[in-house]
Amino acid sequence: MTVLPISIGILVAGGVYLLCQPGMVRIVFGITLLSHGANLVLLASGVSAWRGEPLTGTGDPADAADPLPMAFVLTAIVITLAVTIFMLALAMIGHDDDTLHMPDTGEDHRA
Amino acid sequence: MTGSLLPLLVVVPLLGAALGALVPGGIARAMVVLSPVLTTAGGVALLVTHRDTPVLAHEVGGFIPGIAIPLVSDTFTAVMLTVTGLTTTACIVFALITGEARLRYFPTLVMMLSAGVNGALMTGDLFNLFVFIEVMLLPSYALIAMTGTWRRLGVGRLFVVINLVTSTILLVGIGLVYGVAGSVNMAVLTDMDADDPRFRLAVGVLLLALTVKAGVVPMHGWLPRAYPATSATVMALFSALHTKVAIYAVFRIHQTVLDGAAEWMTLLLVLFTLTMLVGAYGSLGERMIRRSLAWQMIAGVGYILVGVGIGTELGLAAGLFYMVHHILVMGSLLLSSGAIEHAYRTNQFVGLAGLMRREPVLAVIMALGMMSLIGFPPSSGFFGKVSLARAAADLDGFQLWLVFGALTVASIGTLLAMSRLWADVFWGPPMEEMPSRGRGRTEPPVVPEDTRMRLRTLVPAGALLLVSLAIFVVPGPLGEWCLQAADGLLDVTAYVESVTTS
Repeated sequence: MTVLPISIGILVAGGVYLLCQPGMVRIVFGITLLSHGANLVLLASGVSAWRGEPLTGTGDPADAADPLPMAFVLTAIVITLAVTIFMLALAMIGHDDDTLHMPDTGEDHRA
Repeated sequence: MTGSLLPLLVVVPLLGAALGALVPGGIARAMVVLSPVLTTAGGVALLVTHRDTPVLAHEVGGFIPGIAIPLVSDTFTAVMLTVTGLTTTACIVFALITGEARLRYFPTLVMMLSAGVNGALMTGDLFNLFVFIEVMLLPSYALIAMTGTWRRLGVGRLFVVINLVTSTILLVGIGLVYGVAGSVNMAVLTDMDADDPRFRLAVGVLLLALTVKAGVVPMHGWLPRAYPATSATVMALFSALHTKVAIYAVFRIHQTVLDGAAEWMTLLLVLFTLTMLVGAYGSLGERMIRRSLAWQMIAGVGYILVGVGIGTELGLAAGLFYMVHHILVMGSLLLSSGAIEHAYRTNQFVGLAGLMRREPVLAVIMALGMMSLIGFPPSSGFFGKVSLARAAADLDGFQLWLVFGALTVASIGTLLAMSRLWADVFWGPPMEEMPSRGRGRTEPPVVPEDTRMRLRTLVPAGALLLVSLAIFVVPGPLGEWCLQAADGLLDVTAYVESVTTS
């Protein structure tokens, strides 16, 4: 199984490259790639070859896949998705640290 | 208190958060005060219980041990729950006084935050730790985005990106641990061979992510930029909860899972002493009260973690003692700064002067708080540093000189930074007579002559300071608890037995 490590490597490399770029949207894409890499690491910690469904009554437990890494990945995907949406919102309303432009948030900036 | 009550410490704030979103206004504000008070009460009840039963565990959902997600409490957990609950209460009372708690979702977000913190302190499962840290972080992102100055929007990005990237690293670490050990239950992981290089690498990745979240040098740069841009209340909350939960997890994982790997000791001591020094002297470059204090927070992280670096019973207990002291004193100083901002609309050195004559009560509270931070009596900081020095005396050779040297030099740095803050803010001419007032785009507003603080804005800061002073007068009980907590970290048999059989 060399496909999985190579994909993880490519995803992490791409994620780190994008994280080092200016601009929030690129950073968000970078984090998305990085978290996919992390999800594959989690999947790889179970048995990565094809196995039976991990449901009771569908076969021999010895042939079933490990359900725990899948549960981990599912939780991680949900969390990352929520934060990604928040970061995209920040990319819209925020301003870069390098600029002096104040965003119009409808409040007194001096406070 | 029995183990089956432990989930309440998570469930009650979470339910409160949901109700607070549905029923805004006075009811939500009443619940947001009540929830940390209940946490504190739970922590105290646990402290009493742990005098007889060292560990309480509960398998959530009643699944069999090993499969279930355990919630565990020992003396360490109970001390942390009590102190964080107390400080959160003070922060929320301050938010109520300044009116910040009237923001629509403030009560909900704060209750979600405390649910995450309580869960992260109690969980006995690494993946669950990740989930609770995320539960704690998500409302924090929103709190940063809705309080503070307009700079928060830029800084909010920094905070989100750093925390999400480190959470991803944490997740990779958990995946590696599961791959090597086949379990993420901390009680099961204590049986692992800590000398297995694959296992060490996996736990090392975990610890790396946690030290970034804790703000250890050289991964500290985000903290003094992100925290001061929020409001003082939120900064005090974050300082008491976020970095401290990460430090708690470092204590727990390094000691129970890794058995305190001895050959990393020098490396860890170098990193943590460097954290003390960089944090203590970093303040000197800042011109705002809260930015200056943010650097002292980093120094505090160094002091606390040196206890892990030393790794003996005394070392761990001293680190824990320092953590309790640091949470209380930092909370008091940040809320004092918040009171200044509430009255004078600025916390820049150039905008403030002569506060000693103008605000004597504030001057007393902040002077005692700063003395506590430096380590002078009469304050908890004195015993914090004395006990660290006592624990460090058991080291030998290079390590002894390193820790003692850093303790001394970093304390002098804190003294210099605090003297400068004092001279700029509390001494000097009355504010109306100041010759030059501010430069750049954020010129501080002109202060009318009759502006004074309302005394009640100082009550939360004063209350936290009183606890710190009480620890100076009666350090015995806290010292006992810290020693008991350190015993629980070094000898994990009771912990393992409780988790695997309950």
